[in-house]
Formats: sequence, structure tokens, C-alpha cells
Amino acid sequence: MRQGLRRIALTLAGLLAFSGIWLTWIATDAATRFRTDPRNVRAQEGSYLPGAGRIITADGVVVATDAADGGRTYPEGPTYAHLIGYTAAAGRRGLEESRYADLRLRNDDSITDWLLGLGGSDGRQPDDVILTVLDPLQQAARDAMSGKTGAVVVLDVATGAVLAYVSSPSYDPNRVAAGTLDPEDAVDAVIDRVADRVLPPGSTFKVIVAAAALDAGVAPSTTFPDAEEYLAPGSGAPIGNAGGGFCGDGGTLTLAEALVVSCNAIFARLAVDLGADPIVRAAEQAGFDAYIPWETGAARSALAASGLLASDPGALAQTGIGERDVRVSPLHMALIAAAIGNEGLAMRPYVVDSIRTASGDTVHHSDPAPLARMFAAGVAADLLEMMQAVVARGTGTAAGVEGLIVSGKTGTSEGSGGPHAWFIGVADDAGHKLAIAVVVESGGSGGRVAAPIAAKVLRAWRDR
Amino acid sequence: MTRRTETLLVGFASLIAAGGVAIVTATTQGTVGLDAAAAGAAHLAAFGGMVIACRLWAPASSRLLLPVVALITAVGAVEVFRIDPDLGRLQRWWLLLAGLIGVLTLWLLRRRGVEALRRFRYLFLLGALGLLLMPLLPSSLPLGGATVNGSRLWVRLTVGDRAISFQPGEGAKVLIVIFLASYLADRRRALAEMPRTIGPLRLPEPRQLLPILLAFAIAFLVLVYQRDLGASLLLFIVFVALLYTATARATYLVAGGLLAGAGAVGAANAFSHVAVRVAGWLHPFSDYSGSGYQVAQGIFALAEAGLVGTGLGNGSPWLIPAAATDYVFIAIVEETGLAGGLALLAAYALLITIGFGIALRSGDAFRSLLAAGLTIALGVQTLLILGGVLRLLPLTGITLPFASYGGSSLLANFVLIALLARVAHEERL
Repeated sequence: MRQGLRRIALTLAGLLAFSGIWLTWIATDAATRFRTDPRNVRAQEGSYLPGAGRIITADGVVVATDAADGGRTYPEGPTYAHLIGYTAAAGRRGLEESRYADLRLRNDDSITDWLLGLGGSDGRQPDDVILTVLDPLQQAARDAMSGKTGAVVVLDVATGAVLAYVSSPSYDPNRVAAGTLDPEDAVDAVIDRVADRVLPPGSTFKVIVAAAALDAGVAPSTTFPDAEEYLAPGSGAPIGNAGGGFCGDGGTLTLAEALVVSCNAIFARLAVDLGADPIVRAAEQAGFDAYIPWETGAARSALAASGLLASDPGALAQTGIGERDVRVSPLHMALIAAAIGNEGLAMRPYVVDSIRTASGDTVHHSDPAPLARMFAAGVAADLLEMMQAVVARGTGTAAGVEGLIVSGKTGTSEGSGGPHAWFIGVADDAGHKLAIAVVVESGGSGGRVAAPIAAKVLRAWRDR
Repeated sequence: MTRRTETLLVGFASLIAAGGVAIVTATTQGTVGLDAAAAGAAHLAAFGGMVIACRLWAPASSRLLLPVVALITAVGAVEVFRIDPDLGRLQRWWLLLAGLIGVLTLWLLRRRGVEALRRFRYLFLLGALGLLLMPLLPSSLPLGGATVNGSRLWVRLTVGDRAISFQPGEGAKVLIVIFLASYLADRRRALAEMPRTIGPLRLPEPRQLLPILLAFAIAFLVLVYQRDLGASLLLFIVFVALLYTATARATYLVAGGLLAGAGAVGAANAFSHVAVRVAGWLHPFSDYSGSGYQVAQGIFALAEAGLVGTGLGNGSPWLIPAAATDYVFIAIVEETGLAGGLALLAAYALLITIGFGIALRSGDAFRSLLAAGLTIALGVQTLLILGGVLRLLPLTGITLPFASYGGSSLLANFVLIALLARVAHEERL
């Protein structure tokens, strides 16, 4: 009996000892990963010393800093409003909320602090948050969107770093900080149209349908009969082409040509011929109906369930041209474009490059991380080649910029106040690639309204 | 160690109970009032009573036992008071009552010792089953069951317009250990015989496996009908560990492990309340505002801990749901740091070491198994809830012995300590 007893005793004592080791590890891990988590009320409500650090763009423009009166001030006003947000009596928003703890010194009230600092913060300065955003791109995007409603977002394809992030109309966070603007009264200007608003993507969704077709063994050179319209089995209303008539000369079109001229009849039929499952699978692989990790939170993109689409070919046909229940945010469309430019691999989007001490030492640096394999590498290469033709000679010619290889896809989707204009694309400057998504709500045709805006932003990047 | 030292150490623990409450009230309210004095007095009364009772009726008992328990109780009481002063004040009355019950236990056993318990073993088994089933009584009766946090493991005694709630499962734990020790002391030779072999496995007569299947059935019923994962696991592990202790046959460990594994996988798939706990355990942040909320708050509390913690009264342990019961250990770690947490773990290690020491020294099979069973129950319960809050296991709603808020738990554990003290005494006669 003693033998069994000893073993049980040693096991329990060993497990207790292990609990001690584990406690040490898990507490250290929690302290490094969760102390400043935005959901951690302790981090938000804990006591901080007065004074907060600055938020600075990658090229050194200060976009948030402390004001002389002790509040916060935002030198660039409305230009960075949706990214930076504000710290005000009315609450906190944007990076000012998610990086609240990073920008401040904790009042630990500890014996060590008391001994070293004799109770004060002498000599200690709060850290600065350095962004990945490039000011010329941000300014160009803001100028291009002036007077329009919508969003522009630019990502570095290889890293997922956000280079520009504009939602329009905007508001002045200084007025919120001063208490002269109640964000509740300016919902239309405060809403983040880059990440928090989902719209039907229209023809930009054809890249997903094309990806599903390529996955199923269709080649860019596979031909399809041209048509003036497509009537799905059992549905009442046929789907016509933009502007009416045939997409080509009435003969046949290759998949590549169909994408270049954005042929609704062919893509609607393609979606129905492929079936609901492959379309939904391709969309889910590209991040639809999935959580998108983003600094200030992002809305989920959605489309109708596979079973529903399978029983309703009319809905499936409309899904094939990005209408019906398909909803997506500009941030997500930019991620899809970035994945196409990055051999199918989407990188996790991030906007905080590093956290630095006031004297310039880096205390934290964000490393690029993969988010999801949205497309097979071969599929992404085919898509990129087809999208290059879209800008070279198709619906997206207005997005072309001399000196850059621009590939893209336009979209014009139904909106209650007029069609939403979309453009998504990849720009290649000698191997360095950007992804861009532009939406102008109720703005008109994607090729005529959204593509030129993309061109303006990309030109600013070329001339940087 | 002399009697004097024991008294001194218990007094020192009472000082910690009073001083801790004084620090808490000083930091949170800016005053040091009667609460500190009352906390110290209650602690001293309960443990002083136990020390005196041990001198009278168990004079040869281990002198380390009570000081360690007094220390753990003091730290727990301070943190419970810090999380919710009202609960802390209530806990004081429970502590006094528990001290009284402990003294009473020693007094009852003063003549015939723990041997007297053997005669009533089937009564204890029936009592334990009755206690386990009590929460299933209709809520409308004056003495009826009550559902708290989705588990039906409470009994509410209604007298007039007042109601007292308690968890009878805690008492069942002690009764079942007494029964098992007595049963196994008689049957262990038969149970240890392994006449059949299949390959390297040695098997007992099939009918000898009946008890383990019965224990599994009881544990499973507790899980299904009371939705109490903690008590269910505790009962089963204590049973298997004690069976192994009595027989030294690994076959029982293997059989128990297989049954528990199958039961765990089955339960996680079949019962939503178990599945929710498992999901909250593995991915607390994917359902942050739902099933993962408690675990996530526990992680945030740990993030504050550091080496020496925020200091008593300076943390925010009340943000964790069930901080005073399930999560009291994390609350202690938040405010006293890794230093405090590891010290508390050391105290528990010391406590079970003392318990196993008593069991190992016992010449008599029943007493040895009794001490071992009580210690295993204490140790396994500690490990289950520690594993839960430290995210090694799914969270089970059981108390951290002596530290968590909870009257039933305190009463049962004082009986447990009184029994251990008596066994230790009888070994040295």
C-alpha cells in the first residue's frame, strides 16, 4: 500500500509544483500580450501619469500629440480622423482608443517607482506610436475623395502595412476633443467607411467567380458564347450587360476577355454553371464570412449561404456579378487585391509600425504576418495577368499610370441613391507592389469615377 | 515543533487575517476600522478552538497541520473581503461555525477514535448519495434545490422569509472518503488479485470491477443531472486514486483513465454546458463577451500581477466573474503577485505533504486509507480549480479549499482537517 501511496503523493506534489511553474509562465505571457489589450478594462481604467505620446506617420508627420492645455490635438485635422480617432470627454475612438495604454506611462504606484522616482515621473516620457501610413498618399487620397462619399485604402502587398486610409466625408477630431462637436450628431462623417461599412461589390466580385472557375479547371483562354443577356433557370428577370448589347462581336469570348470587358451575361451564367458550392467556397477562402483582424475592428463580409444559392439559380446568377446578398468592405477588397498581387497570400493588415521611446529607441516592432491563403499561386498569377489587361485595354483604363504596371478590376453595384463605383487593383513599381481599393458611394460607374481616383493616389506614390 | 510554536504560528496567521483586512480598508476606504479586529478575532476564535480541541482530544497530532491551514484561510479571507466586504463579513460567521464543527468532530471521536466511523460506513454512503441528490429536490419545498450559474448543486433552506443556501456536495466528499477508506481496507486484498491476463494487462475478476463502474455511474449522474463538472471529476479521481493506493494495481488507473477520457469526450459533445466551458477554456477571445468572458478577465488579472502584484486593495479583482469563489487564486495573484501565488502554492504543497505523511505513518489500513483519501480529496480539489483558473483544464466550479468564499466548503474542510488531526494523533499513541 505504501508504494501506491508514495506514487500518488509524488504525482500530486509534482502537479502542484508544475502549477507553480505554469503560473509563472502564464502570468508573464499575459503581461506581455494582454496588459494593453483594448478589451482589458484594467488597461483602460488603470491609473496613468498625465501626458500621452505622439502618433507619427512613417514619414515623420505628427498626426496626434498633446495640446498645451493638457488635452489632445490633431495637427492634420480631418485628414487622419478615421484612423486616429480621438480622446475626448465624449469618449475614445480609433488608434487613440486601441493604443491608449501604449501612448501613456502607467502609474504603477509601486515601491520601486517610489524609490527610483520619488513618487513622480521625473525624466520619463511617454512612448510614441509610429504608423505605416505615408503622408503624401494619405493627402492624395483625401484630395481625390473631396466632395465624394466613400473610402480609399492602400496596402503594401508584401507586408500588409496600410499606406493610406481615407473615409469621406470626414470630421475634425479637434472639435470633438474641444467639445464643440458631438460625434453622435455627425454619424455620417464619423462612420469608418473603410472597414466598418459593407456594400455590394458589383463586378469587382468577378475576380472571385473567375478564381472559382480557374480552381475548377477553366483556363483564361477557355471560350464562352457571347450573349446580350442571361436568364437563369426559374428566374423572372434576365441579367443584361452594362450599356446593353453584346460584350464582344456576338461570337465567343475567352474568360480573360470577359473579365476585361466585365461581361455580366457570361459571369452570371458562369456562376450558375459552376454551382453554388464552388462560388461560396472561393468566397470563403478569400475571407468572406470570416473575422478580419484589424486595429480598430472591421465588419464581416457576407454572401448568401450555399444551400440557399443552390436552390435559387436567379440569386446565384446575381451573386456572380457581386449583387444580391454579397456585401464587402473596402478594406476587405483591398486585402483580396493584395493577395492577388502576392501569389495568393493575404498578409494581415496593420497600421502601427512600431512603438518608440521619445528618444527614438524602438520598444516594439510589428512583424508582417500571413493572414490567409486566399488563392492558389497559379490562380493568383492568372488573375493578375487578366486584371492587367483590364487596365491596359478594358473597363479600367482610367486607372493606368505611366511608369507603373497597374492591374485592376472595376465594379458598379446597385445602390439606393445611385450606383456605387468600385475599383480594386495592384500597382507594381519595379517589384514593389501596392494594393488599392476605392469606393465612391452612389458615385456612378466604377471605370469612370473610382478608377481615376485610384490613378491619382498611385501617381502620388510614383512621385514620392 | 512544540505546542508553543503551533500556538504562535496560528496567532501569527490571525495577525495576517487582521492586518490584511486593515490594509484593504486603508487603501480602499482610507480607514482602519472594526473589520480588521473582527477578522482577526474570528480567525483566532476558530483556529484557537481547533488548537485547544486538538490538545484535549488529539494531543499527539501533527503540529504543523493547523498553522498551515490557518495561513491559507487567512490569505483567502483577506482576499474575499477585498473582493466583496459583505461576503468577507459573512465568511467570518462561516469560519466561526466551521471551527465549531471541527471542534465537535474531535469531541465526538474523543473516546473511540476514527475506528468508530467504520461501523457506520453504509450510513455514510447513503448520506453522501442523499447529499448529492438533495439539489434535485423541487425548488418549491422549504428545503429545496436551486440552480445557480446553470449548475444545480445548491440547496436552499427557507425558514420564514429567510433563506440559506449551501452546496451539499462538499459534505458528500468527506462522507464518501470515509466510506471508501473503510470499504477498501476490508476488500483491498480481493481487489488486488489479478487472476486473468490479456497480454501485458492483468485483470481482476470482472465482478471486482463493479465498484469502479458504480463510482463512474455516480460521477456521471452528478454531471448530467446537476451539471457539476467539478464535483463529478473530483469524486471519480478520488475514487480511482484511492483504489490504486489500496491495491497498487495500475489496471485500475488505466481503467479509470479510459472511463474518464471517454466520459469527458462524450460529455463535451453531448452536453452544451460542458461544451461551452471547453470552448471558453480553449478560445476565450473568440467569444469574448460570451463563454470566454470569465477566462479572459482572469488573463487580464494575471497580466497585472508581476512579481509582487498591485498590492492589496490596488488591483481590480472584482472584474472577474466569480472572483471570490472560482477565481480567488487569480485575485490573490493579481494583488500579491507571483510571490504571493507561489507562496500559497507552497502552503498547499506543505498541507498535502503533511497529509500524506500522516497516511504513510499509519500502521492500520483503514486509518492510512482515510488519511490518504482526505488528503487526495484536498489535493485533487486544489489542483482541479488551480488547473481551471490557470487554463490547464476547463474551468470547473469548485472552491479552492480554505481560500474561496463558501460556507459549505469551509465546514466540510474543517471536518476533513479534524479527521486528519485525529488520525495523526492515533498513530502516535
